[in-house]
Amino acid sequence: MKPSDFSIWSLDPTKGTVFYHVIFAIVIGFAIFFALMNAPTQVRRPLTWFLTLLSGGVFVVAAYWPKPINFDAKTQKPLNAIESGSVFLADTNNVVGSFTQILAAFMLGLGIFSLLRIHLGKIAKKKTDWGFSIVLLVSMVSMITFGYWDYTTRQANKLVDYDVQSNWKLENMGRDFLFDKLLQQMDAAMFSIIAFFILSAAYRAFRARSVEATILLGTALIVILSLMGIVSAYWDGAVTSLAGDSANKDLILNFKITEISNWLRNTFQTPAITGIRFGIGLGTLSMAIRIWLGLEKGGK
Amino acid sequence: MKTKGIPKFVIYLLLIIFTSVPLFFSIPVPGQPVDASADAFKALMNLKEGDEVLLASDWTGSTRGESMANMKSILRILMRKRAKVAIWSTADPQAPRVAQDVMAEVAKEHVEVDKQPAYKRWDDWIIAGYYPNADVAINAVAKDIRNAFSTRKETNPEGKLKSIFESPVMKNIKTVSDFDLIIDVTASKTSDFHVQFLSAQKVPLLFAVTGVMVPETQVFYNSGQCVGFLGGLKGVFDLEQMMENGLNIKGADGKVLTGNSKVTDEIPGFKGMSNKGSGTKYYPTLHFALLLMIVLIIIGNVEMFKAKKGAQK
Amino acid sequence: MPVEKVGWWSNNIPQLGEQYWDTGWFGLLFTLTFVIFIVFNVSRARKTDLFIRRVAGLNAIEEAVGRATEMGKPVLMVPGLSDPVNAYAVQAINICAHVTRIAAKFSNPIILCAYSASMYTLAQEVIRDTYQSEGVPERYDLDSVRYISDRQFAFAAGVSGLILREQTAATFFLGEFYAESLIFAETANSIGAIQVASSTEATQTPFFIAACDYVLIGDEFYAASAYLTREPVMVGSLVGQDWAKMTAIAFILMGVASQSIFVSSKAKLTEKAFLAAGGNKLSKEQSADFKDKFKAETKTAKEEETKLFNIQKFFKPGPPPEDLDMQREKLPQEPEAAPGAAGANQ
Repeated sequence: MKPSDFSIWSLDPTKGTVFYHVIFAIVIGFAIFFALMNAPTQVRRPLTWFLTLLSGGVFVVAAYWPKPINFDAKTQKPLNAIESGSVFLADTNNVVGSFTQILAAFMLGLGIFSLLRIHLGKIAKKKTDWGFSIVLLVSMVSMITFGYWDYTTRQANKLVDYDVQSNWKLENMGRDFLFDKLLQQMDAAMFSIIAFFILSAAYRAFRARSVEATILLGTALIVILSLMGIVSAYWDGAVTSLAGDSANKDLILNFKITEISNWLRNTFQTPAITGIRFGIGLGTLSMAIRIWLGLEKGGK
Repeated sequence: MKTKGIPKFVIYLLLIIFTSVPLFFSIPVPGQPVDASADAFKALMNLKEGDEVLLASDWTGSTRGESMANMKSILRILMRKRAKVAIWSTADPQAPRVAQDVMAEVAKEHVEVDKQPAYKRWDDWIIAGYYPNADVAINAVAKDIRNAFSTRKETNPEGKLKSIFESPVMKNIKTVSDFDLIIDVTASKTSDFHVQFLSAQKVPLLFAVTGVMVPETQVFYNSGQCVGFLGGLKGVFDLEQMMENGLNIKGADGKVLTGNSKVTDEIPGFKGMSNKGSGTKYYPTLHFALLLMIVLIIIGNVEMFKAKKGAQK
Repeated sequence: MPVEKVGWWSNNIPQLGEQYWDTGWFGLLFTLTFVIFIVFNVSRARKTDLFIRRVAGLNAIEEAVGRATEMGKPVLMVPGLSDPVNAYAVQAINICAHVTRIAAKFSNPIILCAYSASMYTLAQEVIRDTYQSEGVPERYDLDSVRYISDRQFAFAAGVSGLILREQTAATFFLGEFYAESLIFAETANSIGAIQVASSTEATQTPFFIAACDYVLIGDEFYAASAYLTREPVMVGSLVGQDWAKMTAIAFILMGVASQSIFVSSKAKLTEKAFLAAGGNKLSKEQSADFKDKFKAETKTAKEEETKLFNIQKFFKPGPPPEDLDMQREKLPQEPEAAPGAAGANQ
């Protein structure tokens, strides 16, 4: 007997009753959905607050509740109430975690609706650049079509090795062309544009306007130079030969470019980033508490 | 769209020339591994035959310049060490596909070029697939990997779909602590989540990140939350050099070709095998791009001082 | 050593709290302290006025929107690439709502680009509410909040295109940004838009600093709401965060002190012990070997000490040692390893 056997969140998929549970859940879900749609705002607000508190509470309680240690040797069930609680929380955690994905999937429909409204409107009114809107819509429809077609074929023929190209049909080729040959390459192209922007931004922004900017410029140049193998090889070589066997050897060796760059990274960069991240972490924590306790009034 | 000094068009054209022309030539560049790369190499080389490795592949085509090169080098070492590898992804639905392609390529090279025994799916490696919601997924794996991966299946040599936990790769895995090494080849925030949820699990963590992520990964390295990391192109170059020359190994002339002052262990590499890849190929190009950047920064500053002087007159 | 069945610890059943021996309680307590700080200060702020300093980037919001109005061009907002909606996204939307409020006053058109569908839904609600609360619901344009794409670089291309086509006069990039940050910022910079930006990702902040006019660094992003609204809840939680920072600083100082005093004095003691053990009275060769070995051992011990040093060491004891009678009896199926180290749901 596995722990999932006594979890209220999971059912044995081989049993026929699962099907009825699914139908029941869908019916109840729709009923709640329509009830909420028609409920006045005064009812909806506290209900939303309560649901937030409840679902957030699962994660908070799961974090603070003692972790399960062991099961009973014979029954493989939790040993006492505290242990049962932790097993239940661990299961619930997974379920509540997947709610986000379900909600996001529903909202995707709204997103597509927004795209369609804006771009169909643009095409209908023949606004400037309406041709691009056609390109967008055609791309979207073809990607969805080939994506699902390919997926359903792969699901239906699980034993066919789709890694071998000779097994491909039109839908597999279409998906490969759109996703691997087009989208992936365009992604890479957009990413590589950053190189151009970094260069133009560096040219424009890295200027010794003030004392601080000069320090920044200096440190940046050292780090850039340390990344260049040729520079670091010759610089470090020169410093090592300069140090030789002199009394100040250890002191001089500190001026290797790799040492300076390491020192800059470990002494200034790392603590600065740690500090910034700690601040952001605290900000996120306090925002999370405000959202959880219903203190945050979005946009007000 | 013009800046005051050099027009953007010229800057962009120069970059195209500086980054593409060097690719046509083979330019040998010296370079010693940074501490983080040396530590990463040490962690990888410490693996023994049959050790289990959880490899998160969280990158796609957009960062292939750095991530694919990292992934290939890491896979080469894992294959030569005959470690068992479970690959999974949380960053992008396309990631497992890309990982699989790289795996196929490296496995082919392993047999055909390096003449090593075949590295087979199911027996030596499996793909546990893609999990949306990186933080939730990594947390779930950290808490209970058997539960998190429970629905994932692979085709076994008999052509039957079986749970991945029946494969030789995963059969000994009860919790995530049973892995000997956890690697994340990533171009996104998943490295944060790995540290957040997995660094307390007493499993060494190793990252291969993009160049931009080096500063934030350095934080985890300095604090000991990851055993080492390969940062961007320099990281790949370092790893390829160490695979070729070994680490702190003396050459015929008694000189150490590739050495590091912090990691003092003498670790032999894989001389004579296919070690060098994109890292060695692209590293000279990085030099030219950085050189161009330095020159442009100097020109920008000269222009500024000239303008200041002009204004004073 | 046989374990006698006496006391509450010997009945195989873990008691409340016993589990924390395995999982550690210091991190939990630390977080809980921070939460108490925040909640306490929220209630304090409701009674008294608390001081918060100026943040330059936030003063620029009004200026930026004003300039856009003068030029008759739209204001563009991107509340980050959060998917699904998280704390960063909610905060980003809060600031966007503030920008929208100013834009609504000036009757200035706005464009908000959403990365994920859930962000789109949230933004639409908040922006509509903002227009309503300003008393100008008719100025709300349904097309002003747009869903672009949930693929990073498709989104980057879409937003850059919008910036160029609409020639936006002011742009606000607030929230979670990754590699696309510089694409946005440089595109907006190229058309001379005034830009206010903030990324919760420390590595992207430099890109914004290079290309934008005003940048909120780190938790200034979270301070924005408190500064803009001066609501007790916001101000209180900000002060609570500062208390938490002070606590962290205190712990860092303690760590530095303990590392400098205890660890180094321990190393010295070990060396003394070596001398006391007669390490220097052996023959030359023996002594050299002994010394090398001892040195290596001390070095490793020292390294281990440094590596293992963390605050939990003081607070989180390992599993109880073998000779303590607190040890639980091993269950038949329990592995030999530390009790409870393996997860339970197997």
